[in-house]
Amino acid sequence: MFEARTITLGYNGQTLIDPFDFSLKAGQVTAVIGHNGAGKSTLARTVLGLQPPLSGQLYWTRGKPSHIAYIGQSNDLDHQFPMRVRDVVAMGVWRDLGFWSAIDSARSGRISEALARTGLAGMANRPLYECSSGQLQRCFFARAIAQDAPVLLLDEPFTAIDQKTEARLYEIIGEWREEGRAVLIILHDISSVLTLSDHCLLLGAGKAIFGETDQIITAENLVSFEYMTEKQAQFLTLSKKGGAGNV
Amino acid sequence: MFEWLAYDFMKRAVVATSVLSVSIAPVGAFLVLRRLSLAGEAMAHAIVPGIVIAFVAFGLSVMSMITGGMIAGVLVALGTSLLARRTLIREDASLASLYLIALALGIFILSAAGSAIPLKSFLFGSALGIGDDTLVLIGLTATITLISFAIILRPLIAATFDPLFFESQSSHSGLVHQWFMFLLVLNLLAAFKSLGTLMAVGLMILPATAARYWVSTVTHYLMLTFGFALLSCWVGLILSFYLSDVPTGPAIVLVAGGLFFFSLIFAPLGLFRGRIVRK
Repeated sequence: MFEARTITLGYNGQTLIDPFDFSLKAGQVTAVIGHNGAGKSTLARTVLGLQPPLSGQLYWTRGKPSHIAYIGQSNDLDHQFPMRVRDVVAMGVWRDLGFWSAIDSARSGRISEALARTGLAGMANRPLYECSSGQLQRCFFARAIAQDAPVLLLDEPFTAIDQKTEARLYEIIGEWREEGRAVLIILHDISSVLTLSDHCLLLGAGKAIFGETDQIITAENLVSFEYMTEKQAQFLTLSKKGGAGNV
Repeated sequence: MFEWLAYDFMKRAVVATSVLSVSIAPVGAFLVLRRLSLAGEAMAHAIVPGIVIAFVAFGLSVMSMITGGMIAGVLVALGTSLLARRTLIREDASLASLYLIALALGIFILSAAGSAIPLKSFLFGSALGIGDDTLVLIGLTATITLISFAIILRPLIAATFDPLFFESQSSHSGLVHQWFMFLLVLNLLAAFKSLGTLMAVGLMILPATAARYWVSTVTHYLMLTFGFALLSCWVGLILSFYLSDVPTGPAIVLVAGGLFFFSLIFAPLGLFRGRIVRK
């Protein structure tokens, strides 16, 4: 669905990541992981089309999708903003409506379905400031569902939420995979990468490596890409089924 | 009770400030939501030298005032952005530095040129001396502002609440911010004659901050901000009429200030709210 060929990322002509390839496929979840400052957010901006790569080429193999659903880190947003939960979810259909058109019954149904799938139907009319961090993040997932986009980009979506909410959001990401959508998810936790993703892009130390998650997430790579120290790696157990843990 | 409405200048002032309230309220509401209240204050002062230079060079006409004010506003906005990007001081400090210089420069030129217009009128406005050209300016500004908001309301809400989400959906994300800043300068210029450079931004910000304590949807917020702005103008004008030495600008802004403190104490989301957890 999306291919990046020998792209170099950086700012103002300064290279942040040496040339690398990676791709997104329909019905697959691709994780991006790396240390702070490795270039994860730069990569997200590049995929969104907001920042061109310094070199290399980007291809949308089936034509560029009309839109990409984006879920950012809810910590960055104003939790006191005067909106109700349903209004936030409705933002997902604004792009189709243009400036003036009212929300029709089909789109209203899409919004209600998104609220139901994220367990927010009961609090659709509640103001945003009454939401917990987990409810707010579910709200953004509901907005992404309402967008009905073929590609989804999630930037560290599990920050500051409880494990029950995280498990529900894992299920939704699994549903997107089954629906044939391509999901790119930036994560900071190896367990989530192993549990969720089919492919992984590991960034760090000015370089990048891409492949199947099991092959990329190895102790050697994590040390080599400065994600963790050798000492930390000695105590790491990795398994696709059980995620990561310390012995 | 309504003898103040028997005077032509009061009728003009009521019409001018009422239309101004319609126009200025949504701009103020989004300044508050976008956390740009201080930028609004700074911009109000930053346009002064442009207005003064245009006034000294071309006399007191609405066209020269708009042109001068717009040029000064754009220059200060660009200068602020340049300083913030190229030097170590951040945007708030660079904006404060530039607007203080701009305000001082404006008053210096006004005084040095031996202007016939008193400084007090320049700083605090004169809502009771509004001419036809100012009425037309306010009417045009309100028309442009309301049409603009009808077009950019959804993009502006999205850009304010979740900027990166908005950028991911729109290829014209920068345009919304720039158009909003243009509306800010335009409304400050429209309010300049009636409220003065120091008080114009008061009518923009105070009704918006007061209304913020009462509502939890953008629609209600915009409506209540307009209601508070209108109430401030009417009560301020009446106060100014009966207390003959009080200029209208400060009277209007003081009423808005009273509404702010009332809201702070009595509104459900004010000082004594129980349910909001501050982030």
